[in-house]
Amino acid sequence: MSPVPDPALPIPALAGFPPEVREAFQRYRTQGDTKAAEEVVLAAAVDYRPASAGSAPAVTDETRLLEDLGYDSVAVAELAFFLEDVFDMTISNEDVLAVRTIADLRGCVMRKLAGKTGAA
Amino acid sequence: MKPVVTGVGFITPIGNDRASVELSLREGRHGIERVEFLGNPDLPVKVAGTVKGFQVESPRWRDWTWPSGVDIPKDVIRGLAPHGVYAICAVEQALAQAGLKASELAGDPSTGLYCASAGSAMLLHHNVAQMRAARGARGNPLGVVSSIAGTLNFNLGAHYGITGSVCGFVSACASSSHALGYAIDDLRLGRLSRAIVIGAEELNADSLLPFAHMRALSGRADPRIASCPFDVRRDGFVGAGGAVALVIEAPSAAARRGARPLAEASGWGQAADGYSIAASHPEGAGLRLAMERALADAGLGPGDIDYVSAHATSTPIGDAAEALAIARLFGSRGLRPLVGATKGLTGHSLSVSGVMQAGFCVLSFSGGFMPGNPHLGVAAKECEGLELPRDTVARAPARILSNSSGFGGSNVCHVFAAPGQFTG
Repeated sequence: MSPVPDPALPIPALAGFPPEVREAFQRYRTQGDTKAAEEVVLAAAVDYRPASAGSAPAVTDETRLLEDLGYDSVAVAELAFFLEDVFDMTISNEDVLAVRTIADLRGCVMRKLAGKTGAA
Repeated sequence: MKPVVTGVGFITPIGNDRASVELSLREGRHGIERVEFLGNPDLPVKVAGTVKGFQVESPRWRDWTWPSGVDIPKDVIRGLAPHGVYAICAVEQALAQAGLKASELAGDPSTGLYCASAGSAMLLHHNVAQMRAARGARGNPLGVVSSIAGTLNFNLGAHYGITGSVCGFVSACASSSHALGYAIDDLRLGRLSRAIVIGAEELNADSLLPFAHMRALSGRADPRIASCPFDVRRDGFVGAGGAVALVIEAPSAAARRGARPLAEASGWGQAADGYSIAASHPEGAGLRLAMERALADAGLGPGDIDYVSAHATSTPIGDAAEALAIARLFGSRGLRPLVGATKGLTGHSLSVSGVMQAGFCVLSFSGGFMPGNPHLGVAAKECEGLELPRDTVARAPARILSNSSGFGGSNVCHVFAAPGQFTG
């Protein structure tokens, strides 16, 4: 069981993200709002997408990180580290290899969050 | 064949563009400010040559800002160290002056990249601390490429799509002079027709304070005199940050594009002291040999040099060694070229030093002036026989000899010639 985080603490990793993403993270931290955590995951997936890949398509559950969003192996590693850092979790290489779509990514993070709090 | 310089870019304590750097050099305006590191007013480091117009103090790239007009995409900045931001801004200026688009470099096998920096101690520390806090379980995937020496070549090589050659140099304060030297050689050997040469360093507690612990820094608090090369009162160097970039090209390649040569890289030489890990040889033996080799490479003699751009950083030992080496090379032949040490104005930006002096030489040729030694009060006794003007001399040099020295006794010397005075 993780200690309850202090909502007043700044979140350095989220500096530079839009206010609604930071607010979503606070809702997750303080109220355990899992839908809010999903918003943060989606925002991160869009943010870490390489700019060189061109303009982004509309992101749906089926959107693929590599083929549709232009992710390369370095960007995937960065996204994984960002999510590990923000949510204080470990994402293994096997986890990363199993993620193909936005839905896979969200499922991966949410399963780990559920495991962390003992709620699932 | 002697390569020519076709573009220069400056991010320095005395200006972030050619016009403001030239004005500072002409008027003897320094870029040194009061600073405080780590919230500790008791540290014996009171001043530094700061870079203005950037916010890169944070270890998190999302906090950084830089002058508008330079596009650094998010997926590029994530791999950069703070000095990498300076570097891209300097390269963009140099490319613009050379009349080159970044897209012309990408995939061109005749363009090379030659970089110099010490890496980012701040990011290295931050990333390792983050890894340790997670007991080794995780760390920034870009921690290595953003922080180790080589970060400039990794990042700029990828960003600009350089395919001719990408390399980095780590000979401390001689690094960018080495980078320039080997770039010149690759052009002269016909391996490449164009090279980007860049030196960059950040300025923060992690980059600078270790030099205070070596007792290499000035303890003075007055920015007007803390850095006073060749003066009897000099007590150590004043740290600085920044980046300077050069575009050099084979003359035929520059002519094909219609690019105007700003200076000729007439020759270079290097020699080592074989003496100490950090201190200069007391009589500047390696530096003197490096100067002689540079002149020989240029096919010139000491009498052909109008101005010596001194490495002099305002340290007691280093300045004395350089003064003796210059006096022996020139004075023994009855020659007295003007000698100027611009670190009185800029402070010492370590790896950037050599390429910054090269950039200043280009400005001297185009602007028709030779920078003086504006913080010089009483010259040290080792400077006997040296012509050390205090003010900038409003006369165009034909040929300049520019010195660099680094830890471990590395000495590198370049000869530059003004348009109309080329030796090639």
